[in-house]
Amino acid sequence: MSELSDKLQQLTTFYEQAPIKIKTLGQFSVWRNEEKISSKEFGRDKTIQLLQYLISNRHRHALHKEKIMDNLWEDWNDRDFKVALHGIHKALEPNRPSRTEPQFILRQGVSYQLATDSVWIDIDALEKYIIIGNEALSKEKKTAEKAYKKAIELYQGVFLPNRIYEDWSSEEREKTQLLILGTYITLAEIVLDENPLESIRLAQAALAIDNTWEDAYRLQMRGYLAKGNRPQAIKTYMKCEVILEKEYGIAPLPETKQLLQEIEAIG
Amino acid sequence: MTKKQDQNASFMVRFNQQIYKEDGDAKVQWRGKISHVQDGDEKRFSDFNDALVFMQEKLADLTIEATKNEPTEERESILQKSFSMFKTVRNVAPQFLKETIKNPKKQFSNIQEQIQDQIENLGEEISEKVHFDQWKKASRADYHELQTSISSLAKEIKKLSSKVDKISKK
Repeated sequence: MSELSDKLQQLTTFYEQAPIKIKTLGQFSVWRNEEKISSKEFGRDKTIQLLQYLISNRHRHALHKEKIMDNLWEDWNDRDFKVALHGIHKALEPNRPSRTEPQFILRQGVSYQLATDSVWIDIDALEKYIIIGNEALSKEKKTAEKAYKKAIELYQGVFLPNRIYEDWSSEEREKTQLLILGTYITLAEIVLDENPLESIRLAQAALAIDNTWEDAYRLQMRGYLAKGNRPQAIKTYMKCEVILEKEYGIAPLPETKQLLQEIEAIG
Repeated sequence: MTKKQDQNASFMVRFNQQIYKEDGDAKVQWRGKISHVQDGDEKRFSDFNDALVFMQEKLADLTIEATKNEPTEERESILQKSFSMFKTVRNVAPQFLKETIKNPKKQFSNIQEQIQDQIENLGEEISEKVHFDQWKKASRADYHELQTSISSLAKEIKKLSSKVDKISKK
């Protein structure tokens, strides 16, 4: 087994063994030892928000308490923060003996962070699968394909859909959306020759996220062409043209026009 | 009192770069999307000025909403002060052009300074005032790109000015 395949396996094992699993894409839910934690167990909405904030900022090590409070509370005081943090601890570790350190939210002085090595988070796994896919792309195409497919499986919708109006969640949402768009396109390119229908489907999925993604239109055109469906390939170009004109007031790129000419010439 | 959250406007801007060749010339096209986080509105743009206008509209809405219960005189004063932000944006806009339009010619920075000077004199014909003869070695495409950017910027500024006047009169 190659090193990259090993890494893929490690991610799967981590998912299977993690005591806490958090889903943030398309909806928010948390599992403790395979049991879904109800929102009632979290108590207040602020408790859930605090956990979501820590997830959004999981790459920034040790977040200062005041910074967290500034972002989540209009007028804050220490008590609000303590109550919310206690709510998370209680939900994630209900049986933790008193006077023992929490396992999943780590504290260093007045800074806090999520223990990403013991908590499985879909968005984190998605990013790791894409990294493996990108590393494998030039040397192990099958591993790359597998990794990208895993990432796509995890993308069930936008990051924290119930927090789209909160600015602290925007960065992660945007980053993930771009990552997944790129993944759809790369995978669609990989499978185009052997499975054009799947390539068309992947391009369609990218367009469902962003209907101005021109690469996706080209891939669909090439997919339809490979399936011998020339009219549909031309129709796809026309759709692309209409959308780009409507959204940006621009024409498709020369590369896309060139592809249309090639398709028309075949007829 | 207006809530703290109501005093914030956050924007997420996505730029997508397209590099391609046309008639043997290398070209760069920028496509973008700007989202206003607090209300979810978004706008796509291929000209950054459209994104600036979008931002300015959202900021104006914020000030108007926050001052709706103020006495007229007080409100006018706050609005005037808030609109001074737009002047800043007007001055900053050419800087964005400078960053966006990649040009190898050193003279370009001179032209940019001139554009900025011209922009401060609203109502004047901006594109005519720019001394293009300083930019002798630029290609026709470069000229065209610059001219298009300047005239669209001029249009946006005029639009914005009339909007500011309109809101001030309210």
